[in-house]
Amino acid sequence: MKVLVKCFSQVKYAIGSNELTVTLKPGSNSADLETMVREQSAGALDDVTLRTAVNKHYVIEPVLLEDGDEVAFIPPVQGG
Amino acid sequence: MIITPQELHNWVSTGRSFIVADIRPEEQRYHFPISGLETIIATAENLPARKKDPLILICQFGVLTEELIFEKNLENAYSLLGGVQSWEAFQIDKLDLSRWSRQTILPEIGMSGQRKLQDSKITIVGIGGLGCPAAQTLAASGLGNLQLIDGDVVELSNLHRQPLYNKNEIGHAKVSVAYNSLQNLNDNLTVIAKEIHLDESNGQELLKDTDVIIDATDNIKTRQVIDRISKILGIPMVYGGLYRFEGQVAVLNHNGGPGYEDIFTPDPAGGDTCGEAGVLGMLPAIIGNIQALEAVKIIIDIKPSLSGKLLLYDGITHETNIINLGVKV
Repeated sequence: MKVLVKCFSQVKYAIGSNELTVTLKPGSNSADLETMVREQSAGALDDVTLRTAVNKHYVIEPVLLEDGDEVAFIPPVQGG
Repeated sequence: MIITPQELHNWVSTGRSFIVADIRPEEQRYHFPISGLETIIATAENLPARKKDPLILICQFGVLTEELIFEKNLENAYSLLGGVQSWEAFQIDKLDLSRWSRQTILPEIGMSGQRKLQDSKITIVGIGGLGCPAAQTLAASGLGNLQLIDGDVVELSNLHRQPLYNKNEIGHAKVSVAYNSLQNLNDNLTVIAKEIHLDESNGQELLKDTDVIIDATDNIKTRQVIDRISKILGIPMVYGGLYRFEGQVAVLNHNGGPGYEDIFTPDPAGGDTCGEAGVLGMLPAIIGNIQALEAVKIIIDIKPSLSGKLLLYDGITHETNIINLGVKV
Protein backbone atom coordinates (compact mmCIF):
# COMPACT_ATOMS: atom_id res chain seq x y z
CA MET A 1 0.00 0.00 0.00
CA LYS A 2 1.04 3.60 -0.57
CA VAL A 3 0.73 6.52 1.83
CA LEU A 4 1.51 10.19 1.40
CA VAL A 5 3.93 11.60 3.98
CA LYS A 6 3.70 15.34 4.72
CA CYS A 7 6.91 16.73 6.19
CA PHE A 8 6.89 19.93 8.24
CA SER A 9 9.67 22.19 9.53
CA GLN A 10 12.78 20.21 10.56
CA VAL A 11 11.36 17.05 8.94
CA LYS A 12 11.10 18.82 5.59
CA TYR A 13 14.73 19.95 5.76
CA ALA A 14 15.96 16.58 7.07
CA ILE A 15 14.19 14.65 4.29
CA GLY A 16 14.72 17.27 1.60
CA SER A 17 11.08 17.46 0.52
CA ASN A 18 7.78 18.65 1.94
CA GLU A 19 6.06 15.43 0.90
CA LEU A 20 6.86 11.96 -0.36
CA THR A 21 4.97 8.82 -1.26
CA VAL A 22 6.02 5.71 0.65
CA THR A 23 5.20 2.08 -0.05
CA LEU A 24 4.45 0.09 3.11
CA LYS A 25 3.67 -3.52 3.88
CA PRO A 26 0.01 -4.16 4.71
CA GLY A 27 -0.47 -4.00 8.49
CA SER A 28 2.05 -1.18 8.96
CA ASN A 29 1.19 1.52 11.44
CA SER A 30 2.07 5.19 11.92
CA ALA A 31 4.93 4.36 14.32
CA ASP A 32 6.53 2.09 11.66
CA LEU A 33 6.34 4.98 9.22
CA GLU A 34 7.90 7.39 11.75
CA THR A 35 10.80 4.95 12.20
CA MET A 36 11.29 4.88 8.42
CA VAL A 37 11.28 8.67 8.21
CA ARG A 38 13.75 8.98 11.09
CA GLU A 39 16.05 6.44 9.41
CA GLN A 40 15.85 8.35 6.15
CA SER A 41 16.89 11.56 7.92
CA ALA A 42 20.34 10.13 8.65
CA GLY A 43 20.30 11.24 12.29
CA ALA A 44 19.00 14.79 11.69
CA LEU A 45 15.81 14.02 13.62
CA ASP A 46 17.36 12.01 16.45
CA ASP A 47 16.82 14.79 19.00
CA VAL A 48 13.53 16.08 17.63
CA THR A 49 10.10 15.27 19.08
CA LEU A 50 7.66 14.36 16.32
CA ARG A 51 3.89 14.38 16.57
CA THR A 52 1.78 12.53 14.07
CA ALA A 53 -1.46 13.30 12.27
CA VAL A 54 -3.26 10.79 10.09
CA ASN A 55 -5.63 12.27 7.55
CA LYS A 56 -5.35 15.63 9.38
CA HIS A 57 -6.27 14.15 12.79
CA TYR A 58 -3.72 14.06 15.60
CA VAL A 59 -2.88 10.61 16.90
CA ILE A 60 -1.10 9.73 20.12
CA GLU A 61 -0.96 5.96 19.87
CA PRO A 62 0.17 4.24 16.64
CA VAL A 63 -2.71 3.62 14.23
CA LEU A 64 -2.95 1.08 11.44
CA LEU A 65 -2.49 2.74 8.08
CA GLU A 66 -4.52 2.15 4.97
CA ASP A 67 -3.74 2.63 1.31
CA GLY A 68 -4.12 6.30 0.39
CA ASP A 69 -3.71 7.67 3.92
CA GLU A 70 -1.98 11.00 4.46
CA VAL A 71 0.43 11.03 7.39
CA ALA A 72 1.95 14.27 8.71
CA PHE A 73 4.99 14.47 10.98
CA ILE A 74 5.04 17.71 12.95
CA PRO A 75 7.88 18.84 15.19
CA PRO A 76 7.65 21.66 17.75
CA VAL A 77 8.92 25.00 16.47
CA GLN A 78 10.49 27.58 18.69
CA GLY A 79 10.93 30.79 16.72
CA GLY A 80 8.95 33.89 17.46
CA MET B 1 -15.00 65.20 2.95
CA ILE B 2 -16.07 63.25 5.98
CA ILE B 3 -17.36 64.30 9.37
CA THR B 4 -17.26 62.10 12.45
CA PRO B 5 -20.13 61.74 14.93
CA GLN B 6 -18.05 63.63 17.50
CA GLU B 7 -17.49 66.53 15.08
CA LEU B 8 -21.14 66.63 14.06
CA HIS B 9 -22.14 66.55 17.71
CA ASN B 10 -19.88 69.59 18.26
CA TRP B 11 -21.57 71.39 15.35
CA VAL B 12 -24.98 70.71 16.89
CA SER B 13 -23.82 71.80 20.35
CA THR B 14 -22.37 75.06 19.10
CA GLY B 15 -25.45 75.93 17.04
CA ARG B 16 -23.66 75.85 13.70
CA SER B 17 -25.92 76.09 10.65
CA PHE B 18 -26.00 73.09 8.28
CA ILE B 19 -28.35 70.82 6.36
CA VAL B 20 -28.62 67.07 6.95
CA ALA B 21 -29.90 64.88 4.11
CA ASP B 22 -30.81 61.26 4.76
CA ILE B 23 -30.49 59.33 1.49
CA ARG B 24 -31.49 55.94 2.87
CA PRO B 25 -34.47 53.99 1.51
CA GLU B 26 -37.72 54.24 3.45
CA GLU B 27 -37.46 50.76 4.98
CA GLN B 28 -34.02 51.50 6.42
CA ARG B 29 -35.21 54.86 7.80
CA TYR B 30 -38.13 53.06 9.46
CA HIS B 31 -36.02 50.35 11.11
CA PHE B 32 -33.07 52.57 12.06
CA PRO B 33 -34.36 56.05 12.92
CA ILE B 34 -31.91 58.90 13.54
CA SER B 35 -31.99 60.64 16.90
CA GLY B 36 -30.90 64.17 17.71
CA LEU B 37 -30.77 65.51 14.15
CA GLU B 38 -33.26 67.30 11.92
CA THR B 39 -33.02 65.66 8.53
CA ILE B 40 -34.34 66.15 5.02
CA ILE B 41 -35.33 63.01 3.14
CA ALA B 42 -33.39 62.89 -0.13
CA THR B 43 -32.04 60.53 -2.76
CA ALA B 44 -28.73 60.36 -4.55
CA GLU B 45 -30.43 61.84 -7.64
CA ASN B 46 -32.37 64.50 -5.80
CA LEU B 47 -30.27 66.27 -3.19
CA PRO B 48 -31.57 69.38 -1.39
CA ALA B 49 -30.76 72.80 -2.83
CA ARG B 50 -28.60 74.97 -0.59
CA LYS B 51 -26.68 78.21 -0.59
CA LYS B 52 -23.87 78.60 1.93
CA ASP B 53 -24.65 75.99 4.54
CA PRO B 54 -22.63 72.79 4.55
CA LEU B 55 -24.52 69.66 3.50
CA ILE B 56 -24.20 66.54 5.67
CA LEU B 57 -25.12 63.38 3.78
CA ILE B 58 -26.21 60.37 5.78
CA CYS B 59 -26.62 56.72 4.83
CA GLN B 60 -26.62 53.60 6.99
CA PHE B 61 -22.87 52.92 7.10
CA GLY B 62 -21.30 56.04 5.57
CA VAL B 63 -20.04 54.28 2.46
CA LEU B 64 -22.64 55.30 -0.16
CA THR B 65 -22.46 58.95 0.88
CA GLU B 66 -18.66 59.00 0.56
CA GLU B 67 -18.99 57.60 -2.96
CA LEU B 68 -21.74 60.07 -3.82
CA ILE B 69 -19.67 63.10 -2.79
CA PHE B 70 -16.72 61.78 -4.79
CA GLU B 71 -18.73 60.92 -7.92
CA LYS B 72 -20.70 64.19 -8.01
CA ASN B 73 -17.70 66.21 -6.86
CA LEU B 74 -19.93 67.94 -4.30
CA GLU B 75 -18.43 70.98 -2.64
CA ASN B 76 -18.94 71.84 1.03
CA ALA B 77 -20.54 68.43 1.51
CA TYR B 78 -19.70 65.92 4.23
CA SER B 79 -20.34 62.21 4.57
CA LEU B 80 -21.07 61.12 8.14
CA LEU B 81 -18.35 58.57 8.88
CA GLY B 82 -19.89 55.26 9.87
CA GLY B 83 -23.35 56.59 8.96
CA VAL B 84 -26.39 56.11 11.16
CA GLN B 85 -24.79 53.03 12.72
CA SER B 86 -21.95 55.10 14.24
CA TRP B 87 -24.13 58.12 15.02
CA GLU B 88 -26.62 56.09 17.05
CA ALA B 89 -23.83 54.25 18.89
CA PHE B 90 -22.32 57.63 19.74
CA GLN B 91 -25.62 58.74 21.29
CA ILE B 92 -25.36 55.96 23.91
CA ASP B 93 -22.19 57.02 25.71
CA LYS B 94 -20.53 59.65 23.47
CA LEU B 95 -17.86 57.12 22.47
CA ASP B 96 -16.99 57.78 18.82
CA LEU B 97 -16.29 54.44 17.12
CA SER B 98 -16.68 55.78 13.58
CA ARG B 99 -13.00 55.34 12.68
CA TRP B 100 -13.68 51.61 12.75
CA SER B 101 -16.65 51.91 10.41
CA ARG B 102 -14.98 49.73 7.76
CA GLN B 103 -14.97 46.83 10.23
CA THR B 104 -18.22 47.58 12.11
CA ILE B 105 -19.99 47.32 8.75
CA LEU B 106 -19.15 43.60 8.88
CA PRO B 107 -22.20 41.78 10.31
CA GLU B 108 -19.91 39.51 12.36
CA ILE B 109 -18.48 42.55 14.16
CA GLY B 110 -20.98 45.42 14.18
CA MET B 111 -21.08 47.97 16.98
CA SER B 112 -21.49 45.30 19.67
CA GLY B 113 -18.29 43.55 18.56
CA GLN B 114 -16.43 46.84 18.42
CA ARG B 115 -17.56 47.66 21.97
CA LYS B 116 -16.40 44.23 23.15
CA LEU B 117 -12.97 44.98 21.69
CA GLN B 118 -12.94 48.38 23.38
CA ASP B 119 -13.76 46.74 26.73
CA SER B 120 -11.21 43.90 26.43
CA LYS B 121 -7.62 43.30 27.39
CA ILE B 122 -5.15 41.22 25.41
CA THR B 123 -1.66 40.40 26.67
CA ILE B 124 1.18 39.71 24.27
CA VAL B 125 4.12 37.85 25.75
CA GLY B 126 7.17 38.64 23.63
CA ILE B 127 7.26 41.78 21.48
CA GLY B 128 9.52 40.36 18.79
CA GLY B 129 8.80 39.03 15.30
CA LEU B 130 5.31 37.74 16.14
CA GLY B 131 4.49 40.25 18.84
CA CYS B 132 5.17 43.43 16.82
CA PRO B 133 2.67 42.80 13.99
CA ALA B 134 0.11 41.37 16.41
CA ALA B 135 0.41 44.46 18.63
CA GLN B 136 0.15 46.86 15.69
CA THR B 137 -3.01 45.40 14.21
CA LEU B 138 -4.65 44.89 17.60
CA ALA B 139 -3.96 48.50 18.55
CA ALA B 140 -5.34 49.71 15.23
CA SER B 141 -8.39 47.44 15.48
CA GLY B 142 -9.86 49.34 18.43
CA LEU B 143 -8.79 47.10 21.29
CA GLY B 144 -9.19 48.92 24.62
CA ASN B 145 -6.32 47.45 26.64
CA LEU B 146 -3.08 45.90 25.42
CA GLN B 147 -0.46 44.56 27.81
CA LEU B 148 3.05 43.95 26.51
CA ILE B 149 5.50 41.73 28.39
CA ASP B 150 9.13 41.53 27.29
CA GLY B 151 12.45 42.02 29.07
CA ASP B 152 14.60 42.40 25.94
CA VAL B 153 16.13 45.45 24.32
CA VAL B 154 16.05 46.33 20.61
CA GLU B 155 18.92 44.85 18.60
CA LEU B 156 20.06 45.55 15.05
CA SER B 157 19.26 41.96 14.00
CA ASN B 158 15.62 42.48 15.10
CA LEU B 159 14.83 45.28 12.67
CA HIS B 160 14.15 43.22 9.53
CA ARG B 161 11.12 41.59 11.14
CA GLN B 162 10.08 43.83 14.04
CA PRO B 163 8.65 46.99 12.45
CA LEU B 164 7.80 48.76 15.71
CA TYR B 165 11.51 49.59 16.15
CA ASN B 166 14.12 51.56 14.23
CA LYS B 167 17.91 51.87 14.30
CA ASN B 168 17.84 54.86 16.64
CA GLU B 169 16.18 52.71 19.29
CA ILE B 170 18.82 49.98 19.48
CA GLY B 171 19.58 49.27 23.13
CA HIS B 172 16.21 50.64 24.34
CA ALA B 173 13.71 48.41 26.09
CA LYS B 174 11.34 46.92 23.50
CA VAL B 175 8.23 47.49 25.59
CA SER B 176 9.04 51.20 26.05
CA VAL B 177 9.56 51.79 22.34
CA ALA B 178 6.47 49.74 21.48
CA TYR B 179 4.42 51.67 24.05
CA ASN B 180 5.10 54.98 22.31
CA SER B 181 4.41 53.67 18.78
CA LEU B 182 1.19 51.91 19.74
CA GLN B 183 -0.21 54.66 21.91
CA ASN B 184 0.01 57.00 18.91
CA LEU B 185 -2.01 54.56 16.80
CA ASN B 186 -5.13 54.81 18.92
CA ASP B 187 -6.10 57.33 21.60
CA ASN B 188 -8.78 54.99 22.95
CA LEU B 189 -6.17 52.33 23.71
CA THR B 190 -4.46 51.84 27.06
CA VAL B 191 -1.04 50.24 26.61
CA ILE B 192 0.49 48.57 29.66
CA ALA B 193 4.22 47.92 29.22
CA LYS B 194 5.93 45.41 31.51
CA GLU B 195 9.71 45.27 31.07
CA ILE B 196 10.20 41.82 32.52
CA HIS B 197 10.64 38.24 31.39
CA LEU B 198 7.57 36.16 32.21
CA ASP B 199 8.31 33.05 34.25
CA GLU B 200 6.69 30.68 36.72
CA SER B 201 7.20 33.11 39.63
CA ASN B 202 5.46 36.15 38.09
CA GLY B 203 3.27 34.69 35.35
CA GLN B 204 -0.02 34.36 37.22
CA GLU B 205 0.15 37.89 38.58
CA LEU B 206 0.97 39.30 35.13
CA LEU B 207 -1.73 37.40 33.27
CA LYS B 208 -4.56 37.17 35.81
CA ASP B 209 -6.88 39.91 34.49
CA THR B 210 -6.42 39.50 30.75
CA ASP B 211 -9.04 38.14 28.34
CA VAL B 212 -6.71 36.49 25.82
CA ILE B 213 -2.97 35.70 25.95
CA ILE B 214 -0.95 35.83 22.75
CA ASP B 215 2.12 33.63 23.01
CA ALA B 216 4.70 35.37 20.84
CA THR B 217 7.73 34.01 22.66
CA ASP B 218 10.78 32.49 21.03
CA ASN B 219 11.42 29.59 23.37
CA ILE B 220 9.56 26.45 24.39
CA LYS B 221 10.21 26.85 28.13
CA THR B 222 8.31 30.17 28.37
CA ARG B 223 5.62 28.75 26.10
CA GLN B 224 5.13 25.89 28.55
CA VAL B 225 4.85 28.34 31.46
CA ILE B 226 2.20 30.34 29.57
CA ASP B 227 0.38 27.10 28.75
CA ARG B 228 0.23 26.05 32.42
CA ILE B 229 -0.94 29.49 33.61
CA SER B 230 -3.45 29.77 30.77
CA LYS B 231 -4.94 26.45 31.90
CA ILE B 232 -4.95 27.40 35.61
CA LEU B 233 -6.54 30.81 35.02
CA GLY B 234 -8.93 29.58 32.31
CA ILE B 235 -7.71 32.24 29.88
CA PRO B 236 -7.31 31.14 26.24
CA MET B 237 -3.85 31.30 24.70
CA VAL B 238 -3.14 31.90 21.03
CA TYR B 239 0.06 30.06 20.28
CA GLY B 240 2.36 31.00 17.38
CA GLY B 241 5.69 29.55 16.36
CA LEU B 242 8.11 29.86 13.44
CA TYR B 243 10.68 27.72 11.68
CA ARG B 244 12.40 29.24 8.64
CA PHE B 245 9.58 29.72 6.09
CA GLU B 246 6.93 27.91 8.15
CA GLY B 247 4.62 28.92 10.94
CA GLN B 248 2.20 27.29 13.38
CA VAL B 249 -0.87 28.79 15.08
CA ALA B 250 -3.34 27.24 17.53
CA VAL B 251 -5.92 28.49 20.01
CA LEU B 252 -5.20 26.56 23.19
CA ASN B 253 -6.93 25.98 26.53
CA HIS B 254 -10.12 27.50 25.18
CA ASN B 255 -13.45 26.16 26.47
CA GLY B 256 -11.81 22.93 27.65
CA GLY B 257 -9.80 22.48 24.45
CA PRO B 258 -6.26 21.07 24.36
CA GLY B 259 -3.18 22.94 25.54
CA TYR B 260 0.38 23.10 24.26
CA GLU B 261 1.45 20.19 26.43
CA ASP B 262 -1.31 18.06 24.90
CA ILE B 263 0.11 18.67 21.44
CA PHE B 264 3.84 18.45 21.95
CA THR B 265 4.21 16.32 25.12
CA PRO B 266 5.48 17.72 28.45
CA ASP B 267 9.07 17.74 27.29
CA PRO B 268 9.35 18.43 23.55
CA ALA B 269 12.75 18.57 21.92
CA GLY B 270 13.97 20.35 18.82
CA GLY B 271 12.89 23.54 17.15
CA ASP B 272 15.58 26.18 16.72
CA THR B 273 14.94 29.86 17.47
CA CYS B 274 14.80 32.43 14.65
CA GLY B 275 18.38 33.37 15.56
CA GLU B 276 19.49 29.76 15.08
CA ALA B 277 17.34 28.68 12.14
CA GLY B 278 16.85 32.02 10.36
CA VAL B 279 13.60 33.65 9.30
CA LEU B 280 12.47 35.92 6.47
CA GLY B 281 10.85 39.11 7.78
CA MET B 282 7.44 38.59 6.18
CA LEU B 283 6.75 35.25 7.84
CA PRO B 284 6.33 36.51 11.42
CA ALA B 285 4.10 39.29 10.05
CA ILE B 286 1.78 36.66 8.53
CA ILE B 287 1.73 34.39 11.58
CA GLY B 288 1.54 37.25 14.11
CA ASN B 289 -1.45 38.67 12.28
CA ILE B 290 -3.19 35.30 12.25
CA GLN B 291 -2.66 35.19 16.03
CA ALA B 292 -4.15 38.70 16.38
CA LEU B 293 -7.10 37.66 14.21
CA GLU B 294 -7.79 34.61 16.36
CA ALA B 295 -7.58 36.74 19.53
CA VAL B 296 -10.19 39.16 18.14
CA LYS B 297 -12.40 36.22 17.08
CA ILE B 298 -12.29 34.86 20.64
CA ILE B 299 -13.30 38.22 22.11
CA ILE B 300 -16.12 38.85 19.66
CA ASP B 301 -17.07 35.16 19.57
CA ILE B 302 -16.68 34.65 15.84
CA LYS B 303 -16.63 30.95 14.96
CA PRO B 304 -15.10 28.67 13.93
CA SER B 305 -11.78 29.54 15.54
CA LEU B 306 -8.55 27.59 15.63
CA SER B 307 -9.50 26.17 19.02
CA GLY B 308 -8.62 22.48 19.04
CA LYS B 309 -6.81 22.84 15.71
CA LEU B 310 -3.23 23.41 14.65
CA LEU B 311 -2.69 25.58 11.57
CA LEU B 312 0.50 24.94 9.63
CA TYR B 313 1.51 27.55 7.05
CA ASP B 314 4.28 27.20 4.47
CA GLY B 315 5.53 30.53 3.11
CA ILE B 316 7.22 28.87 0.11
CA THR B 317 4.22 26.99 -1.29
CA HIS B 318 1.53 29.00 0.56
CA GLU B 319 0.00 25.67 1.48
CA THR B 320 -2.05 25.74 4.66
CA ASN B 321 -2.83 22.58 6.61
CA ILE B 322 -5.21 22.48 9.55
CA ILE B 323 -4.78 19.52 11.87
CA ASN B 324 -7.67 18.52 14.11
CA LEU B 325 -6.28 18.05 17.61
CA GLY B 326 -9.14 15.82 18.73
CA VAL B 327 -7.15 12.72 19.52
CA LYS B 328 -7.73 9.60 17.44
CA VAL B 329 -6.37 6.51 19.23
